[in-house]
Amino acid sequence: MIVADTALPRSRIERWRTAGQLVRSLVRVHPKPFIIAVSAAGVFALCTVASSVVLRWIIDHVIDPRFRAGHVATSTVLVGLGFIVGTGMVRAVAVVVRRGMAGVTRWRIAETLSGDIIDRLVAQPVSWHQLRASGELAARAGVDVDAAVDVISPLPYASSVVLLIAVSAVWLVYIDVPLGLFSIAVFPMLIALNLSYQHRVDRHFTAAQDHLGRLSAAVHESFEGVHVVKAFGAETRETQRLASIAADLRSARTSAVLVRASFDSALNAVPALANIGLIVLGAYRIRSGDLTVGELASMIYMFTLLVFPLRLIGFALSALPHSLAGWGRLREVLDAPLMPDPADSLVVAPPELGVSFRQVSFSFDADRPVLTDVSLDVARGSTVAVVGTTGGGKTTMLRLAAGLLSTSSGSVAVAGGDRSIVLQEAFLLGDTLRENIAFGSVFSDEQIWAALECAEGREFVAELPKGLDTQVGERGVSLSGGQRQRVALARALVRTPALLLLDDTTSALDPSTEARVVANLRSALSDTTVLMVASRPSTIALADRVVFLHDCSIAATGTHAELLESNETYRSLMEAFEVDREAITASLEAPERKDS
Amino acid sequence: MDEELGGRMGAAQILGRGVRESPLLRQGFGFTMLLAIIGAAGRVVIPIVVQQAIDHGFVRDSVNMRVIAVLATVSSATIVATSLAQRAAVKRLGIRSEGALYELRVRVIEHIHRLSLADHNDERRGALVARVTSDVETLAEFFSWGGLAWILDGALMVIVAAVMLSYDWLLAIIALAVAAPLALVLRSVQRHLVDAYGKARGLNADFLGSVTELVTGAETLRAYGAGPVLASRTKLVAKQRADSFIRAGFIGAYLFPSGEVFSAFTVSAVIGVGVARGSAGGLTAGALVGFVFLTYRFLEPIAEFTEVLDQTQTAVAGMRRLLAVLDLPVGPPQALQPVALPDGPLSIDISDVTFGYRTRGEVGDDQPVLFNVSAHIPAGQQIALVGATGSGKTTLGRLLARLADPVAGQIRLGGVPLTHVSNEQLRQRLVVVPQEPFLFDDSIAANLEFALPGTSFADLERAVTALDLDDWLLTMPDGLLTRVGERGTQLSAGERQLVALLRASVADPDVLILDEATSSVDALTEVRMARALERLAQGRTIIAIAHRLSTAMRSDRVLVLEDGRLIEDGSHEQLLAAGGHYSQVFAAWVSSTS
Ligand SMILES: Nc1ncnc2c1ncn2[C@@H]1O[C@H](COP(=O)(O)OP(=O)(O)OP(=O)(O)O)[C@@H](O)[C@H]1O
Ligand SMILES: Nc1ncnc2c1ncn2[C@@H]1O[C@H](COP(=O)(O)OP(=O)(O)OP(=O)(O)O)[C@@H](O)[C@H]1O
Ligand SMILES: [Mg+2]
Ligand SMILES: [Mg+2]
Repeated sequence: MIVADTALPRSRIERWRTAGQLVRSLVRVHPKPFIIAVSAAGVFALCTVASSVVLRWIIDHVIDPRFRAGHVATSTVLVGLGFIVGTGMVRAVAVVVRRGMAGVTRWRIAETLSGDIIDRLVAQPVSWHQLRASGELAARAGVDVDAAVDVISPLPYASSVVLLIAVSAVWLVYIDVPLGLFSIAVFPMLIALNLSYQHRVDRHFTAAQDHLGRLSAAVHESFEGVHVVKAFGAETRETQRLASIAADLRSARTSAVLVRASFDSALNAVPALANIGLIVLGAYRIRSGDLTVGELASMIYMFTLLVFPLRLIGFALSALPHSLAGWGRLREVLDAPLMPDPADSLVVAPPELGVSFRQVSFSFDADRPVLTDVSLDVARGSTVAVVGTTGGGKTTMLRLAAGLLSTSSGSVAVAGGDRSIVLQEAFLLGDTLRENIAFGSVFSDEQIWAALECAEGREFVAELPKGLDTQVGERGVSLSGGQRQRVALARALVRTPALLLLDDTTSALDPSTEARVVANLRSALSDTTVLMVASRPSTIALADRVVFLHDCSIAATGTHAELLESNETYRSLMEAFEVDREAITASLEAPERKDS
Repeated sequence: MDEELGGRMGAAQILGRGVRESPLLRQGFGFTMLLAIIGAAGRVVIPIVVQQAIDHGFVRDSVNMRVIAVLATVSSATIVATSLAQRAAVKRLGIRSEGALYELRVRVIEHIHRLSLADHNDERRGALVARVTSDVETLAEFFSWGGLAWILDGALMVIVAAVMLSYDWLLAIIALAVAAPLALVLRSVQRHLVDAYGKARGLNADFLGSVTELVTGAETLRAYGAGPVLASRTKLVAKQRADSFIRAGFIGAYLFPSGEVFSAFTVSAVIGVGVARGSAGGLTAGALVGFVFLTYRFLEPIAEFTEVLDQTQTAVAGMRRLLAVLDLPVGPPQALQPVALPDGPLSIDISDVTFGYRTRGEVGDDQPVLFNVSAHIPAGQQIALVGATGSGKTTLGRLLARLADPVAGQIRLGGVPLTHVSNEQLRQRLVVVPQEPFLFDDSIAANLEFALPGTSFADLERAVTALDLDDWLLTMPDGLLTRVGERGTQLSAGERQLVALLRASVADPDVLILDEATSSVDALTEVRMARALERLAQGRTIIAIAHRLSTAMRSDRVLVLEDGRLIEDGSHEQLLAAGGHYSQVFAAWVSSTS
């Protein structure tokens, strides 16, 4: 009990402190528009008080004399009306400046913050990205930034409310001390009401936010895997699973609404009842001659003007936990130490070598090595095939050579010049085919077409109505698996790289297309060192040399024929094809005999 | 694009349809409105009290305390009662709208799951997820604030206008007349506001899409050093997004105080006319002061309206997109009177099938990708489907799995037209394994169990043994409990394919369609697995789409697709003997491998 009592305020104080830090860090990014917005808010607050002064003056000097004494000077009336219009105008201009500049502050800060995060995301190497879910990382620069800066928009207004309360408190007391004190006593009550609302509803809002996060992650995965869902007829099952999360969200939200309904009506009723109290008290003061009717009306007017701003403080506060959470999450990205770029640890290979591995070891987790003590020299301009079993570390080897992963020990050396890797699963941007091939650099159309030609993609691109300008993705075409692979290959080829790394790049191509691609590569890439993962003998046969990865290290190197001779495991791996080969030759002979 | 579907409907129509689609929202709506109006009436109590007090309480320098006491009691009671009414109204609306949103969300999820696969592709996914999350959220926000504000503030304006008319019709008409142009101002600015926010939202979507690409393509971007270029492009979009939101914000900022500007003029007019007329027309000082208060009250909601206007537009746009998704025809319709498939092995009849993907976006790719394809596949036959890339193999596989229906022609499974087979039965009996399989971010075991919930761990282990994959499983750090990572990225490409094949075998279907399902698996594992499959295949119909022609050789029969047409059909030997396309491809392959 005691523990709970002391723990609660402390955490609350801490939260206020972090909230203060949040605001300070955000405002520091773009202080100028913020200061303008706050100043305009100050003008607004003063005008609000002024308008109540004007109302009092009009009641006492225009309305009252007219209805009691029967006449009033026209000039007096005009002056009063002029004041009403004047304060109204200034107030309106102040509102425009305040809101507009609050928006400038909010969006410029969001722009700067998301820019920082984007820079950070781009600067971090692949290994850093692999440890994090991509959907969450994307949320950092988007939703989380928006959540964090949400706290900014109501701030100028909130600051004017503070000023408004202070000035009007003084003004109310100045008009009439007992009545002023009475109204001032109501403010803390309203603020306490706001805080208690905030405190009670927080739990539900936080829960709702959690459920919403869970829901979007689950929906994302379920739609991403919709092929699997459909393949196993799991639509109903999946819908039910997602529906149960949606139901949690619903009940958290409903609880919040119920709390809100009570407090909303209390927040309406309390000021109204206080107003009635003012009238009753005011009646006594008027009877004793200490107050005029105009003064009382102006106090009531003042009071009604304060109610809405006070409620807005509640809104601003309810955004706070949300903002703090978003801020915390984006700090994780901004404050994460920059991991070293694996590409920086690549060394320059001696002139005769295209790529060279020196006692390279690699593992994702310490107790399960993927590569141990791999040493390999690839002569410049030669083509080497990497062969191995599924999960044998072939892709890992290529990533090391591309500078996408860094070795656990040992070093990788590469020749100077461009390195291009074509990954096992092609990634395309939702952009034009031209942009997908140029990929951030500038190439002439001739170069792009030549690369496509070499990748055997010229034909299908030429058949598209818009050719290279065809959009890929949501606003354009869907490509088949083989078409995607060839676009990715053209992207690598257009750069005429010194080192070309191909990870099973022809796996989705039919044999004749594959044969043509392979032949094109042979003739076009005489100066390029090619390290390629291959599983089909047709591709393996193209290589000058074969590297056989087995049990995390290089079991043998040599030509395809040599390895078949010398290495039992290699032979058994290739046996599958050799066994088939007998049947193949047999079946090929049969029709030939018929022909002759 | 989705927005265009419902684009011709106006905002009111969209909301109307939205309400019609959610019966929960309409439940007891009349009573809720009544409560809301009573609640709003509470907000004119103070101006009336002020008027009454001035006119009857503070008469001629003496104060009638009795009148004040009565006024205070009655008005306090009214305020308490109306607050309770408001509370009840907010509760009822809240409970119902949360219920309606829940139902809507589930309906959209269900509908999207049932969409044809032609509507599901990598590029579209983000948009579909957004329907269930952010678009429904815009509605949630609207219901919890904007919608409520329209109802409560609308009721308030009506009540205030009524009270004003009852006080003094001339002043009321003057007040309304001076305030009326405000409606015109609101209308014209509102259109700009809507456009500005529409543009800003579009840029927001572009920005989010761009960031997603930056993250999902991180490896490729880094490999090509394209990260900084794409990052600066994304930042440019971020700047445009900020600009457009700021612009929209300023338009909103002009609109916001328009209520105040007009109340300044209206109050001046009321006071001016009231004072000029004096008590001649029966007007009292109290009524005039009360009138001033009422005028402020009357125009007070304008500020809130401008605030919720954008929210309303966002909600309408969200609703429009949701309705557009609900309007997308679901994938092949369920069989109305399903015919049970015969037990045992199933034959497949493809007769005169033509298919084209629905036109999407700017590019007219609605030309057929399959033309008049016909084939009879007897039960238990092993088929190899070969053909150049883009020839339509995957598409044919999708049609067999009824992920879409042919534009013309018919497919029969075990003699029953696919359109008459219930979805559940079809999924139990026929499974497709794709080339780039999707794995859920969970353990291998959980991914396998997805095929047949409730399968015991021992049965999963047996399935691994049956496919001769025990050796492979030993290389996994935690065996079946190994986590596969997001989309399976902690496994190698070949390992992902193995898990997908295992998953299909757990489902134990009678027809198995393998769409390049082993393209990244090493030859030894593939052949071992193929043999195991052959053993398992007894009595199963298998259609293997494969580029390794060794697979074609092992099969009973080969179908060759070219540019969407079935050009050759026969056993490996027959096709070679015929000397057609297949024999040429095969010869080329053999020469390249020797
Ligand atoms: N979802 C889709 N929407 C529109 N067009 C598509 C879609 N999927 C494929 N296509 C187009 O249909 C044609 C046939 O594609 P399909 O995927 O069936 O070819 P495939 O024979 O499987 O090729 P691959 O061997 O490269 O996988 C291609 O031109 C492709 O661009
Ligand atoms: N991100 C990762 N985290 C943990 N382990 C991983 C990760 N990526 C790969 N592995 C593991 O490392 C091993 C080597 O993977 P790699 O992708 O290099 O194999 P591969 O030889 O390319 O296989 P394939 O022929 O199937 O593509 C595999 O056992 C795989 O499970
Ligand atoms: Mg690999
Ligand atoms: Mg395909």
